[in-house]
Amino acid sequence: MSGIHSSLWQLRPAVILGLVWACLAATMPLLAQAESGQRTVNALVATESGLWVLEAEGLWRIEAGERTAVPLPIATASPDAFSVGANGALYLASRELGLYRSIDSGASWSRLTGGLPDKSITSVAAHSTLENIVYLYAPGEGIFRSKDAGDTWNLVDAGPPEPILTFLHSSMPGSMETGWLFAGTRRGVVRSMDCFCLWSDAGEKRGEVTVVAYDRAQPMHLYAIFDGRLHHSRNGGEDWEEIAAPKDVTAVAVSAEGRVYLGTRQGIYWQSGSHWERLDD
Amino acid sequence: MTSGIGPLLFGMSVFIGGGAAVAGKIPAPDGEQLAAGRAVYLGYCASCHGENGEGQENWQRRDGNGELPAPPHDASGHSWRHSDDMLYRMISRGWRDPFNRTERLTMPAFGAMLSEQEIRDVIAYLKTLWTDEQRVYQDKASGAQ
Repeated sequence: MSGIHSSLWQLRPAVILGLVWACLAATMPLLAQAESGQRTVNALVATESGLWVLEAEGLWRIEAGERTAVPLPIATASPDAFSVGANGALYLASRELGLYRSIDSGASWSRLTGGLPDKSITSVAAHSTLENIVYLYAPGEGIFRSKDAGDTWNLVDAGPPEPILTFLHSSMPGSMETGWLFAGTRRGVVRSMDCFCLWSDAGEKRGEVTVVAYDRAQPMHLYAIFDGRLHHSRNGGEDWEEIAAPKDVTAVAVSAEGRVYLGTRQGIYWQSGSHWERLDD
Repeated sequence: MTSGIGPLLFGMSVFIGGGAAVAGKIPAPDGEQLAAGRAVYLGYCASCHGENGEGQENWQRRDGNGELPAPPHDASGHSWRHSDDMLYRMISRGWRDPFNRTERLTMPAFGAMLSEQEIRDVIAYLKTLWTDEQRVYQDKASGAQ
């Protein structure tokens, strides 16, 4: 064996040990998380057909007490943005992999590329009532809009001065066009009519907002996580009040019946009167 | 505080109901229409929106009354984001931002003061204050009505 090959051969135990160590380092946190029951919920969407749950480990649908895994477009993907269109179409975004759509409840997925930015997509929001309109946000680029359910996209707005961390489309009345966009930023919640005429602060409360949700049945009612704490507004974001909630809330959704769901590191909760109950997995 | 669902519904009610003429797509103005539109603008709009469509100072922030000031109509504003139909309705029926602290129409209703043609003329004039790109955007929005 040549000198180089001999040297490499002698290094193999170290290489093998390094590979094993790397695998353990990658999987131990997940194993520990699964064992402790901790599953980070990245997004929650409540629809007429059930509750959609996007976790770091995958996408689930909870309906009539049954939790069903929904295959991701790419098994190893870690999507962090999810939205459901007015017609039930699913939109899934990953910073690394781009944007996908499913029109059959996740049975199959299509990659969407028409006119999309090169940079990563961090947030996607389907129009609250118009099934073919979808919005997405790409930091450094702005807000893109599709009017054909995601087949083609156009840059429509630079977005608010503060980068968007999360956003949604709301059917809250009073817009010059068809609704409103509410966005969570490091400054607080901001809103704009969906004509993108003017982004303005929703109220005077400041803080980093990582989650926003609204009640379709009472569209003036909003929920937001300010600096890790759940807040509620009854007047379109003008005033906010903190409400007691389980710790580590990472996602919020409100059903058509007005029931509030929280995704936390300990699982999913739903509001029952003045307290929260754990939703069985 | 006067915000809340009441003022929102009031603002919505400005647009509810039929009977009011809608704009239809407004073609590019010829010299005569441009002059007519400019005259309407100077007579009815410039006092708030500025002689050259520059809007009021700090139009993006609520003033001491809790109202949003008159925005620009030039390229720095957002008029170009609305369809001809929406612009017609706003001029005809007025408008207030739903989160204004007052309930009055900060954009007055001119439907009783201006004829349908005069409203169309001033909208055609406003388009001359926009960039080519903005006109294309607005044209698409108007065509989608």
